[in-house]
Amino acid sequence: MQKTSNALDALNRNRAYLILALVLIFALFTPRFYTMFNVRSILSGSALYTFLGVSFTLCLIAGHMDLSVGYMATTGAMVVLGMRTNSGLPWWLAILIAVGVGAIAGTINGLLVTKAKIHSFIATLGMQFVLRGSMYMYCNGAEISVRGEFTLTDAINRAPLKFLPLSNLFICTLAVVIIYLVVLRNTRFGRNVHIMGGNRETAWLAGVKSDKLTTLVFTLSGITCALGGALFAISQGTATPTLGEKGIPPLMVALTATILGGTSMAGGKGNVLKTFASILAIMAMLSVLTTRYGKFELQILFMGLALAVAVIYETLRNYARQKRVGIRPNLADEYARETGKTLHIEK
Amino acid sequence: MLTPPQSEAGRFTRTGKLTSILGTAGIYVIIILLLLVGLGIRQLDYLSLANLRSILQAVSLLGMCCAGLAFVVFSGNMNDMSLPMTMALSGMMAIQLIPYGIVVSVLGGIVAGTLVGVINGIMIGKFRAHPIIWTLAFNLVLSGLVRAAWGGSQIYPDTIAGQNETAQATAETFNLFARTYYFDGALPLMVVVMFIMFVLAQVIFSRTTFGNKLRIVGSQYEVARMSGINTERMVMTAFVLCSLCASVAGIFYASLTKIGAYSNGEGYDFRALTAVLLGGMTLAGGKGTMVGVFGGVLVLGMLTNIMTLIGVPTFNQYVVQGVVFLFIVWLNNYLEEKRGHA
Repeated sequence: MQKTSNALDALNRNRAYLILALVLIFALFTPRFYTMFNVRSILSGSALYTFLGVSFTLCLIAGHMDLSVGYMATTGAMVVLGMRTNSGLPWWLAILIAVGVGAIAGTINGLLVTKAKIHSFIATLGMQFVLRGSMYMYCNGAEISVRGEFTLTDAINRAPLKFLPLSNLFICTLAVVIIYLVVLRNTRFGRNVHIMGGNRETAWLAGVKSDKLTTLVFTLSGITCALGGALFAISQGTATPTLGEKGIPPLMVALTATILGGTSMAGGKGNVLKTFASILAIMAMLSVLTTRYGKFELQILFMGLALAVAVIYETLRNYARQKRVGIRPNLADEYARETGKTLHIEK
Repeated sequence: MLTPPQSEAGRFTRTGKLTSILGTAGIYVIIILLLLVGLGIRQLDYLSLANLRSILQAVSLLGMCCAGLAFVVFSGNMNDMSLPMTMALSGMMAIQLIPYGIVVSVLGGIVAGTLVGVINGIMIGKFRAHPIIWTLAFNLVLSGLVRAAWGGSQIYPDTIAGQNETAQATAETFNLFARTYYFDGALPLMVVVMFIMFVLAQVIFSRTTFGNKLRIVGSQYEVARMSGINTERMVMTAFVLCSLCASVAGIFYASLTKIGAYSNGEGYDFRALTAVLLGGMTLAGGKGTMVGVFGGVLVLGMLTNIMTLIGVPTFNQYVVQGVVFLFIVWLNNYLEEKRGHA
């Protein structure tokens, strides 16, 4: 009995990889899925969503929600091309400014949450509208395109190794995922973020400066999203203010991947690599759906179902556990201390 | 986090007159200020019957949503992010059922919309799902379902009715919902419905045991649960009421635009929440009145009205709305903290 539950647990913990494997196996029966071109386009297409997913995961681990990730990416995309095309700045400066704007917006988010004590969900919801409006104002509702020279666009889409479907854009994405993975796992910052998300009080007792840390988390989220948006815009050669709202909202992709990847909705637990695997699985699933049915509506439906099933599963699991333990799990510890017997409770 | 504990005396002396006035009647002070601003811009035209009616009519859909959403916010569940798709679904169902007569059409729309609330209520009330994440997820599912079911296209009352004479007449009646006026065009039906909803909600809040229990659930969930209140049913009812009001609003929306589309209720989640919070409710739940919420709806409507009169473009209005929203939430928090309720 114990063994099977352990195996199931391990399976559930690694469900992101499982889903990815299932989708890839299913894709075997889809014609022309495993071609160089298709795989490359899936990987490149996942770049933007990975940046957003990673930021969302970071915030959720810290116990907050950043609903403005989608519009943060739009901001990065619009600003980088605006600076390049309209203001004629060199690329490196344009990218720097875009990332800087993202950092400022993220910091404002963080200050709203820590200093003004607004719930993160509300603060970022408001920020979403501010960003959306200001991006429309910035470009007068039109799109901004790269004009004339496409050297950087070509460079970012080129695959350095001819026999591998890895574009430079995707390699950048991989680098960001690895950086986040290492930082969250192996540094004091990462551990503090986990502690803070898990239990605010414990973090306070452990001497974690949670206000500063929260602001930093939101700033990092803003930087990552803006960078992702900027790279995406450069690779596409164009940016529209509707990047954050057309079709499947990028926010929903990030949210779905984060939840599928097993990040705890209450905070304190999560893994960037699993989020990344979920994003790849989602992108592969969307590609399969397009090839087989060619319907955009089904993509949204399947994405929604994947997210809903994950949320329902987590919720029911939590519910069953609470039924067993009671709302206050520390009572079980008290019981053990007083009677000397231990309750077998699956944490 | 490391603020030194305040003495009781210090807490009370800090509560100025301004904060207490803003705390109780704050929203109506803002309304009067906005009225003065409007008068300054358009002189007496602003107070003309036509303009006042247009403000009321413009906010009536939002008001219906708010009357329902107030229950959810009051019960401490922050927001119902599936509000847009609830509106879209009920509108589209109502239009789709037009050939079967007007009663079936309206009832079908309301039932379809309320079903969303029932599912939300079961998931959040019974199984304690995260309200924001669940309603966001369910919104996406519904959006996919609605798009897949209708092939991603819009539907129109006249085309659904087809060549059938009676069905055409039903479609006409359906379109008339949002265009019915009483007292020589002074009072639109939508406004009447909104007022009825607000009055009912106020009665529920202040005169029934349900309202009192909901207040306890909203302010202290654990206390409510341990004092024997059926918290599951309270939260469920709150969500059902919310989507009931939203589905009525959705039907009026479809009738007003003569279109049933998946994008019908877009943006209403944010705007409704803004109005509810403007009206003095807090995200923590258990605070606020319907009178305040109605004020919040009015302020949002007048703000949009004045901005349109001045000629602020739509996109800039987004920024203003976002900033106003953040400012109000901050002000609410700040005043609560000043009064020592934080």
